[in-house]
Amino acid sequence: MLDLSFLPSGRGGAVTDLPDDQDDAQTFAMDAAAFSHPSFVLPSVADPVAWMKHQMSDAAENRIKMAKGTTTLAFKFKDGIIVAVDSRATGGTYIASQSVKKIIEINPYLLGTMAGGAADCSYWERELGRRCRVYELRNKERISVAAASKLLSNMVYAYKGMGLSMGTMVVGWDKTGPALFYVDSDGQRLKGDLFSVGSGSTFAYGVLDSGYHCNLSIEEAIDLGRRSIYHATFRDAASGGSVLIYHVRQDGWQVISRTDVTELHYQYAEEPRPSLL
Amino acid sequence: MPINEVKPATGGFSFDNYARNTMLNDKGFKAPGVIKTGTTICGCLWKGGLVLGADTRATEGPIVADKNCEKIHYLAPNMYCCGAGTAADCDATTGLISSKLELHRLHTGRQSRVVTAMTMLEQMLFKYQGHIGCALVLGGVDINGPQLYTIAPHGSTDKLPYVTMGSGSLAAMAIFESRWKKDMELEDAMELVKDAISAGIFNDLGSGSNVDLCVITKDGVDYRRGYDRPNERVQKERSYKLKPGASTVLTSSFRKYVEVLDGDAMDTS
Amino acid sequence: MAMKGKNCVAIAADRRFGVQLMTLSTDFQKIFEINPRTYIGLPGLATDVQTLSELFRFKTNLYKLREERDISPKTFSHMVSSTLYEKRFGNYFCEPVIAGIEKDGSPYICSMDLLGCINHAKDFVVSGTASSQMYGTAEGLWEPELEPEELFETIAQAMMSAVDRDASSGWGVIVHVITQDGVMTKTLKARMD
Repeated sequence: MLDLSFLPSGRGGAVTDLPDDQDDAQTFAMDAAAFSHPSFVLPSVADPVAWMKHQMSDAAENRIKMAKGTTTLAFKFKDGIIVAVDSRATGGTYIASQSVKKIIEINPYLLGTMAGGAADCSYWERELGRRCRVYELRNKERISVAAASKLLSNMVYAYKGMGLSMGTMVVGWDKTGPALFYVDSDGQRLKGDLFSVGSGSTFAYGVLDSGYHCNLSIEEAIDLGRRSIYHATFRDAASGGSVLIYHVRQDGWQVISRTDVTELHYQYAEEPRPSLL
Repeated sequence: MPINEVKPATGGFSFDNYARNTMLNDKGFKAPGVIKTGTTICGCLWKGGLVLGADTRATEGPIVADKNCEKIHYLAPNMYCCGAGTAADCDATTGLISSKLELHRLHTGRQSRVVTAMTMLEQMLFKYQGHIGCALVLGGVDINGPQLYTIAPHGSTDKLPYVTMGSGSLAAMAIFESRWKKDMELEDAMELVKDAISAGIFNDLGSGSNVDLCVITKDGVDYRRGYDRPNERVQKERSYKLKPGASTVLTSSFRKYVEVLDGDAMDTS
Repeated sequence: MAMKGKNCVAIAADRRFGVQLMTLSTDFQKIFEINPRTYIGLPGLATDVQTLSELFRFKTNLYKLREERDISPKTFSHMVSSTLYEKRFGNYFCEPVIAGIEKDGSPYICSMDLLGCINHAKDFVVSGTASSQMYGTAEGLWEPELEPEELFETIAQAMMSAVDRDASSGWGVIVHVITQDGVMTKTLKARMD
């Protein structure tokens, strides 16, 4: 076994040092370090939540949030889960980027989507990734999607009301099979078969719901995800760029495609219109 | 007003949209910006008359909306007026007073006097209690000799031998305070006003581009548009001309003009 | 956006109509023909765009009846200016752009703020939500003495690059090039997001 005794005990270094018959006190110390919430310095005022609320009410101008408008979606079907997102980042109506990667690869079996504040999503999902890894080292098995999403939910809940903004889907495959959870910065956490998040979500739902059923083939499911995001980018000014699609299967996630929506627009325009009945 | 009744324009402001706009504003609708002339304007007296000066920048917030606008407005053959503030107000107000002066001249058959113009502007701006946002420098020559006035948006006036207005007024006034003398020669006065405006162009962010001058004497007016151009855009190093077919066209049409010519008179025999 | 060329002018606009983030239509008319040689672009609040376009149709029709000739672009721009300034306190939310060819064949362009302050330019004028982007693209692409075909490519690319950086503009672009012998109208293949 690797000798890591030089590392200070208590933090990461302690993991491989553990004797098999670990005592409770030591476990507790390690858990406290590895699973504690990352702590930010809070505004030094009596009531940080009220203070932040005041700061963000009429002073919204001095807070430019990227990726505020977004369309993301994920749904379960018989062959796993399809995750599809757009790629636009906006600051107000200014388009800051058309090539943002809104699917975060937490680990080879877990994906997180990004809606709301880009920095909030990427920071907290990175932190989630770290903690999932610690869990793996600690328990010698992968974390369940349910547990991972709950970790995220608990972390952001600690900062509720202080300006975090994220609407994310945690997607993966664990012992129970494919799993899909919606987690947001208000602390809400939902399990489901189909979600869409972001300013363009209503438009995406419209297409998604009309074409969705559990027995879609992989090709059909990918096409449905792509069409849903495309139609959302068409109607929603804050969504656009290209459609990025991932497929989650038993052996982990897989990148399917990245397609510019302009290409899709003129491609779909060529197709015959489906009859209304 | 019934929909089928078309009344001739009565003049004056219309407040029809006011309530609607208040409602839109309350709902959070953001109105587009108003063009202002964050400006340096000034004028000074010299031995034989006066010189007015202005920069040529018009801004819309932080954007330069017009790089070469005209801020020295015509009022009468013996009178010009520099405007700073809301550009639309300066254009409309000087235009209105200029028209009233012309009618007054046609009525009386006499040259317009500077005090007349000053009083008309003063009374108009006072009446609107500062809601018409223009700060003016009025200069003209009449039987009482050359005179220079400033008129502030609320309607207060000053009569001085050298005046400045606008956001660059401090920079310009610094030049006047250090160098203006009584009974200067024309060349010296023009140089002084040019330097005062230049001080505004280079030191005030709201002012920029070129210097316009307007020399008024009892014998007439010498309007020098672009008297000094210290901010010419450098020639582009190369041409960025696009090749035909650079843009993909979906539909295209061409409509030739139809020329209507007067035909021969109808044969009524 | 409008641009001057050699004995020609061009005027272009996007085709989106939307309420905040939601796009409702992608064939909305923002450029209106006043007469064969004069066009006006009206970006802004949709209700005012339509009110004003009808009002100018009414006013220019009366002008034609009275004068027995088409209104010139310059005269028309002053008509627009005073119409807007009349509503100085309680304005229309619209910043017009006017492009046309004068009787002597010289090109004419101007833009206005929502109070009717006319802005004449020797090169190009811009207006609307993507105006800051358009200042950049037009300043970079415009050159003096462009022929009609070159002017079309210039304004088309300047317009498309600008609207691609504004979330509330785009969904197609229409360009009119007004020349000595006719008007060329083209719609462009543009991004639809």
